[in-house]
Amino acid sequence: MILLPAVDIRDGRAVRLRQGRFEEETVYADDPVQAARSFVEAGARFLHVVDLDGAREGEPVNLRHVQRISDELAVPVELGGGLRSIASIRRALAAGAVRVVLGTAAFTDPELLDEALTAFTSRILVGVDVRGGHVSVSGWTRETQVRGEDAIRRMQARGATRFVYTNVDRDGMLEGPDLEEVRRVSAAVRGRFLLSGGIGSLEDLIAVRDLRLLNLAGVISGKALYEGRFGVREGQAVLDARDP
Amino acid sequence: MIAVIDYGMGNLRSVTKALEHVGADPVLTHDHADVRRADGIVLPGVGAMPRAMERVRGLQLDQLLRERVEAAVPLIGLCMGMQLLFESTTELGGAEGIGLLEGRVERLQAAKVPQIGWNEVSWRRESALTSGLPQPCAFYHANSFAPRPAHDRDVLGTADYEGEFVSVVERPPLYGLQSHPEKSGPDGLRLLKNFVCLVAAGRGPPRSDGSAQAAA
Repeated sequence: MILLPAVDIRDGRAVRLRQGRFEEETVYADDPVQAARSFVEAGARFLHVVDLDGAREGEPVNLRHVQRISDELAVPVELGGGLRSIASIRRALAAGAVRVVLGTAAFTDPELLDEALTAFTSRILVGVDVRGGHVSVSGWTRETQVRGEDAIRRMQARGATRFVYTNVDRDGMLEGPDLEEVRRVSAAVRGRFLLSGGIGSLEDLIAVRDLRLLNLAGVISGKALYEGRFGVREGQAVLDARDP
Repeated sequence: MIAVIDYGMGNLRSVTKALEHVGADPVLTHDHADVRRADGIVLPGVGAMPRAMERVRGLQLDQLLRERVEAAVPLIGLCMGMQLLFESTTELGGAEGIGLLEGRVERLQAAKVPQIGWNEVSWRRESALTSGLPQPCAFYHANSFAPRPAHDRDVLGTADYEGEFVSVVERPPLYGLQSHPEKSGPDGLRLLKNFVCLVAAGRGPPRSDGSAQAAA
């Protein structure tokens, strides 16, 4: 399991939102490369980058920063936020993202999902962001009537195998994930998934690790790392100690 | 100076940045004079090998790289750049490679390709290239194909993706990594640094089987 520090970019800065609310923003670095660099220097092996402006605009806005992060740092970068066309996915990959997260588009444009899965196969992750039990889209401004696990099953029927599951209500709250929910998600996912939202401490990472979910490939953490609740290296060490 | 061969397949900035980080002075180039002056050569690559080979041949780099390797200049192929070192590939209906190493590049025998992610490489033996690296050592891979070297002695490291595949090859002064060391964190940078040290030493280590790869 890998610990992926999250670098969310808004207006060219590294920020965190609370529960996906744009009006509740904390700025952690004026330059996202600086934030990313400090995570890599602290031992990160993968970065999860979110273009928050892109998520709202419906197309990538901060690719310039993604490119800088990818060029300058010796770890792979995945990108989500605003990727709603094949052209923008191509631009994201050209900017150096090694894989991309489709959220809104995967739900609202099934043909795009099909096309993207055909063209980019395992470079495509489907982001399932759940708020109040239902999938949330368009930069967390719209809720659908679809439950998270149902969405996962539906996407799998179309060929998706890699997911990023986020509990938006817990995101930025540092109160720990809902372990029962994580178990249910794991049971629904036939491929692999990353977990995001709510990690607040090493104990949370230990609790997730001890679920022993073989299809949980990694845990994304934002605020807890920025706030120094634990370091990347210690967090990764906890996840590496999965056995026995 | 280390020449990073730029034949128009993808962004090479992360490769040059990583080389700078470990103290090298990389020059992005496909100019023959530059490549001839270089003490070491990095052959990167992403995408499909047949297309890459067309460009390499179009720039007459295949002959040039063969000449430099025969002159004992250390050369490392990265990712698809490593595949180019082999004789042929089955990708896109098949194509020839540069043919500095015997063997064919074939699709990974796995349900889901490309593999995208970290994968542990186990070393078959000690090597100057892997000095200071743990056994096994995780590298970031992004590949659908991998070489099947004809000679087992060319295999330096293997990994598992629904079956064993060859991730690192070595026949000094030739080296190749199926992974992306420039995205493999401190261990990836260490490997690049080891290559830079081999370049600085002005020669590769002697071959284990004692035969002369190239006249010094």
